[in-house]
Amino acid sequence: MTFFNDWVDYFPDLLGGLGVSLQLTLVTLLIGLPAGLVLALAAGSKKRVVRVVAIGVIEVGRGTPALVVLQLFYFGLPTAGMTLTSFVAASLALAFTTAAYTSEILRGGLQAVPSGEVEAAHALGMARGDILRFVVIPQGIRIAIPPLMGFAIMVFQATSLAYTIAMPELMSQAYSIGSITFRYLSILTLAGLMYALITIPASSLSNFVEYRLARHR
Amino acid sequence: MHEDTEQDRIAISLESVVKKYGDHTVINDVSLSVREGEVIAIIGPSGAGKSTLLRCINLLEVPDRGRITVEGNHVDAGTQISHKDLVRLRRNVGMVFQSFNLFPHMTVLRNISLPQERVLGRSRQEADARSMKLLERVGLADKAQQYPSRCSGGQQQRIAIARALALDPRVMLFDEPTSALDPEVGLEVLAVMRELAAEGMTMVVVTHEMQFARDVSDRVVVMAEGAILEEGDPADVFTAPAMDRTRKFLRAVLER
Repeated sequence: MTFFNDWVDYFPDLLGGLGVSLQLTLVTLLIGLPAGLVLALAAGSKKRVVRVVAIGVIEVGRGTPALVVLQLFYFGLPTAGMTLTSFVAASLALAFTTAAYTSEILRGGLQAVPSGEVEAAHALGMARGDILRFVVIPQGIRIAIPPLMGFAIMVFQATSLAYTIAMPELMSQAYSIGSITFRYLSILTLAGLMYALITIPASSLSNFVEYRLARHR
Repeated sequence: MHEDTEQDRIAISLESVVKKYGDHTVINDVSLSVREGEVIAIIGPSGAGKSTLLRCINLLEVPDRGRITVEGNHVDAGTQISHKDLVRLRRNVGMVFQSFNLFPHMTVLRNISLPQERVLGRSRQEADARSMKLLERVGLADKAQQYPSRCSGGQQQRIAIARALALDPRVMLFDEPTSALDPEVGLEVLAVMRELAAEGMTMVVVTHEMQFARDVSDRVVVMAEGAILEEGDPADVFTAPAMDRTRKFLRAVLER
């Protein structure tokens, strides 16, 4: 029964790590999602320069593994004279990857808004900015919400990568307890279950939201 | 019921308009003027360029050549058209589409009020009051708080008409407003359009509703292959068309 005794003993430490993981997820999304929307709009810009730069950023962001970006921000930037705390480095690195991926999801959503509605808005004399703000973006985001929620769950899982830059999140806590006690099996199992405890209900929520949004059309 | 001076005022004028898609010429040197208060029906086979011509009037399509004047504001093809010119011209023009194009994520009331607030700078209160008045006029005041998806096609089209009218246009363009509707439902839309015409609104209507063209329009314009075949009094065009091509088209639609 040592397996479950370990769980009882180390649960509080892991719970603290889970809190850090959730905070990191939240901050990553708060930066990454708006940045993703900006990239999506820029990638559809009429100005060629803006479009090319945006698509370049998106391709680099999607083409580079999150782990590499993370290490680059934490270990690489100090060499260039910019030292970030592990939390800031992790948030920015994951937000960069998030922005690149979600921009594609959002771009799909924006493009799915019927062109007839945009045309009607033009015919009404609405300014281009107003058309984006009131017609295209609200509907595009609504279309993109289910896949965005799915991506948010992946971001939460990806926060475990931050253990490589000594951030005290869930994976890092589990790993350090394991390395002291050598009870890797029980501790990592518990950590995995705690991730699942968040992701499984979040997936059901995402399915429910998808169903609700589909109903309204 | 217009004063004589108004009779002769030109609301819309198209001069030698050409529109091409690549090598394909959709509108081939078309000129047309519409007097203040006049109701024009544009008829003709599909692919004739009717809708494209209509969309050139409010510059949803930018012509390759020619000049477009609406209520004294003109735009020349081939020159850089500024956003300001576009807005000034569109300010006087309302448009109704075949597919209604209401904003599905807003209530009916919001659909009509938002453009007033953003384009004319009306307060929300002013805009809502105007919207309700127009909804009453098209018989749909009870739908104000509903979403468009809860309204029938005919109701959505009447809401779209109210949305356009809310901006006080001097000219209304209709692009096959009843083509997506059941014949019966189309009648409620046509009734609203008849009323508008009777009130003296300048209207250009692309339509396959021959009865409406005959009864309501002051002038019928027949188009085929990107050009105007003939135009004239509906009674003349329908009973004694000048061109063979018109005769052929009319026979096809009337025998249906």
